[in-house]
Amino acid sequence: MKIKKFKVLVIIFSVALLAGSASLQSALAAEPYHLGVALAITGTGALYCKDGVDAISLAVEEINAQGGFLGKHPIKLFTRDTHTKPDVAVREAKDLILRDKVRAILGTYSSACAVAIKPIAREYKVLHIAAISNSENITKINYSPYTYQVVPNSYMQAKAVVLGVAELAKRKGWKEYVTIASDYEWGRSTQQNTVSLLKQMAPELKLKKEFWPRLGETQFTSYITAIMAQKPDFVVGSVAAKDNVAWMQQAKAYGFFEKIPYPGSLISVSELIVQAKTLTRGLVGLCRAPFFAHMDNPMMANFVKEFRAKYGRYPSDWAVMEYDAVYALKQGIDKAGSIDTEKVKDAMKSMTIETTRGKLVFRAIDNQLSCSSYLGVVADDPNYAFPIYHDLVEIKGPDSWRPEAEIVDARLKEKK
Amino acid sequence: MDVSLLIAQFMSGLSRGMMLFLIASGLSLIFGVMNILNFAHATLWLVGAYCCYTFWYVLQESALGLWVSIGLAAIALAVIGWIIEVILIRRVYDRDLPEQLLLTYAMVLIVGDLIKLTWGVEDRIIVRPNLVSGPIFLFDIPLDSYFIVVILVGISVAIGLWLFLQKTRYGHIVRAAVFSREMVSALGIPIPRIYTGVFVLGIFIAGLAGAVQAPVGSITLGMDMAIIIQAFCVVVIGGFGSLLGTLVGSIIVGEVYAFSILFWPQGALVLIFIVTAVILIVRPWGLFGTPMRV
Repeated sequence: MKIKKFKVLVIIFSVALLAGSASLQSALAAEPYHLGVALAITGTGALYCKDGVDAISLAVEEINAQGGFLGKHPIKLFTRDTHTKPDVAVREAKDLILRDKVRAILGTYSSACAVAIKPIAREYKVLHIAAISNSENITKINYSPYTYQVVPNSYMQAKAVVLGVAELAKRKGWKEYVTIASDYEWGRSTQQNTVSLLKQMAPELKLKKEFWPRLGETQFTSYITAIMAQKPDFVVGSVAAKDNVAWMQQAKAYGFFEKIPYPGSLISVSELIVQAKTLTRGLVGLCRAPFFAHMDNPMMANFVKEFRAKYGRYPSDWAVMEYDAVYALKQGIDKAGSIDTEKVKDAMKSMTIETTRGKLVFRAIDNQLSCSSYLGVVADDPNYAFPIYHDLVEIKGPDSWRPEAEIVDARLKEKK
Repeated sequence: MDVSLLIAQFMSGLSRGMMLFLIASGLSLIFGVMNILNFAHATLWLVGAYCCYTFWYVLQESALGLWVSIGLAAIALAVIGWIIEVILIRRVYDRDLPEQLLLTYAMVLIVGDLIKLTWGVEDRIIVRPNLVSGPIFLFDIPLDSYFIVVILVGISVAIGLWLFLQKTRYGHIVRAAVFSREMVSALGIPIPRIYTGVFVLGIFIAGLAGAVQAPVGSITLGMDMAIIIQAFCVVVIGGFGSLLGTLVGSIIVGEVYAFSILFWPQGALVLIFIVTAVILIVRPWGLFGTPMRV
C-alpha cells in the first residue's frame, strides 16, 4: 500500500516537474530583448537621426517577423532623444539601462554623446554600438570591451580625404590651406587627424588658419568672408548635419566654391537629397555609407527596397549604418547562441559579419568595423531625383584605419 | 590687410547684427513696455520660420512666393501672438518675474513640441529664388545677395518702429506706458489694450525675423535656443526697452563676432560674452536703457 502511495507521489511530482520546466521554458522563450536607442531626435543631429531610427525600426521588424533574436527573443525597442547633448545622453542612457533594462544601446549622433555613454555602458555591462558618431576616441583610448563602432571613424575618414587631397595638391600645385570644423568632439578630432595626416603625406602644404564655428551655427557669413580673406589654395571642412546645410548654402551664395576648392567635405546622402536643387555639382565630397555604392549586394538591395516601401524615400548613410548595427548585434547573438551580454560581447570580438556594405570584420584591438570611406564627384544621375556620386572611390577600412601600434602608444600615454 | 576684405567682413557682421536686431527688437519692446521677459520669443521666431516654409511650399511656383510667404508668416505670428496674450500673458502682468519666466519657459517647451507635431523633426529648406541665390559684387567685394535683403528689412523695421514710437499718437501712449502705466491709465487709456497691441507687434516682428531667417540655412528644431542667448546679449548691451540700444547692441554683437572670426577665430563667442559681462557690471541697464523699474 505504502509503495503504491509512493509511486503515485513520484508520478505526481514528475508531472509537476515536467509541467514546471515546460512553463519555465516557455517563459524563457518569451523573454524579450530590450534594445535601447539613444539618438538625437531633436537638435543639430535630427537631420541624420530620423533615418537612423527608421532603419533600426525596419531591422527590428524584420528580425521580429522571424521570432526575434535566436528565433525566440522578440526585440522591444526603447528610443530616447539625446538632444545632441552629452548630459542628456548620459541621463537617457542610465534611464534606458536602469528602468528599461536594455541589454544594448545603439546610437549616437554626437561623438561627445558616444564618449559620455561609453563609461556608463561599461559600468553596467551593456553593449554599446556607435553607428553615426565616429570620433576615433570612442574606441581608440579609454577602451571599453562593450563598445563597438560600425561607422568609419574620424581617422579613417580623414585618411581617405588626405589621400584624395594630397593627390589633388600635387596635381594642382596647391601650397596653403585653411580648415573649418564644428567646435566639438567630432569636428576637432576629424580636423586634427586631417591636419596631422596631411603633414605626413604632403609636408609641403601649410595650414594658414583654423576656423571653429560653434555646433548649431546658423549664420556662416563671417566665416566665409574671413576664409576668402585668407586666399587659401583650398579648404578642408568638417561640418555636419544641419550646420553643414547652412554652411554649404551660404558659401554657395557667396560664390565660394567657384573661387576656392573645397575637396573632401562631408556630403552624405542626406545632404545629396536635402540639397538636391542647390548643391554645387562637381564638388568632391566624402561620405560614410552611400547605398548606391553597394546595390550589387543583395542585403543592400533588399534594405533599400524595404526602406523605400516603408518610408517612401531612399536611405541615407545614417540609415545604412544603424541597420547594419542591428544586424551586427543579431550576428553576435547568433554566434554566442545566447542573449547574455557577456557572451555576445565576447562573440563579437574579431567577428566577421555580413552587412549591407559587404563582409566586414571587427578589429580586435579597438572593436572598429573594417568599413570603407567613399570619395566622389557630386553629379546628377538619371536614375535618381537627387545628385549622387560619380567616379566613386572606395577607401577600404584596413587601408585607412590607424595602425595598431599607434593605438597601443596612445593607450600607454593615456595610462601615464 | 586688404581694405575690401575688411569691408566684406563688416558687411557680414552687419547682416548678422541685423538678423539679431530683428529678433531682439520685439523682445526688448515687450519687456520695455510690459515688463514681461518673454523667454519664448525665439521659439515664436522659429514658428515664424516654419510658417514661412509652409507658405513657401504652397506658393513655390510663384515668382513672388518667398516674399509673399515672409509677409504671411509675420501676419500668422501676429495672430498667434494675440491668442497667446489673451489666453496666457495677460494673466501674469502683476505676478513676480520668476512666475512670468516659468510661464514663458513652459511656452518654450509646449510650442517646441507643437512644432515637432506639426512639422516633424526633419530639417526644412527653402530654395531661394534666383534673384537672391548668388553673390553680388560691391566694389568687387562678393556679398550674399540675400543678406542685402536681411539688412534692408532690419533697417526698415528700425525706421518703422522709430516712426511708430516717435510720430504716432499710439506710439506716444506706448512710450508713456513705459514710464508710468498708472498715469496712462488715469487718463482713461485702457492699458490692457495697449499691452495686447505691443505684444502682438513684438511677436509680429519675431515672425518676420523667423521668416527672413528661413532661407538662410535649414530650418530645424533647437535653433531657437541657440539664438535666444545672443538676443539676450543684445538687449543687455543695448538696454532693455531701448530701440536705439537694441540696434546698437545688435551691430556691436554682429561686428564683434565677425571681426573676431577674422583675427581670433577661437574667441568669437567668448568676446561677445565678455562685452556682455562688462556691460552688466559697469552699466546694468545697458548702453541706452534706463534703470529698471521695480
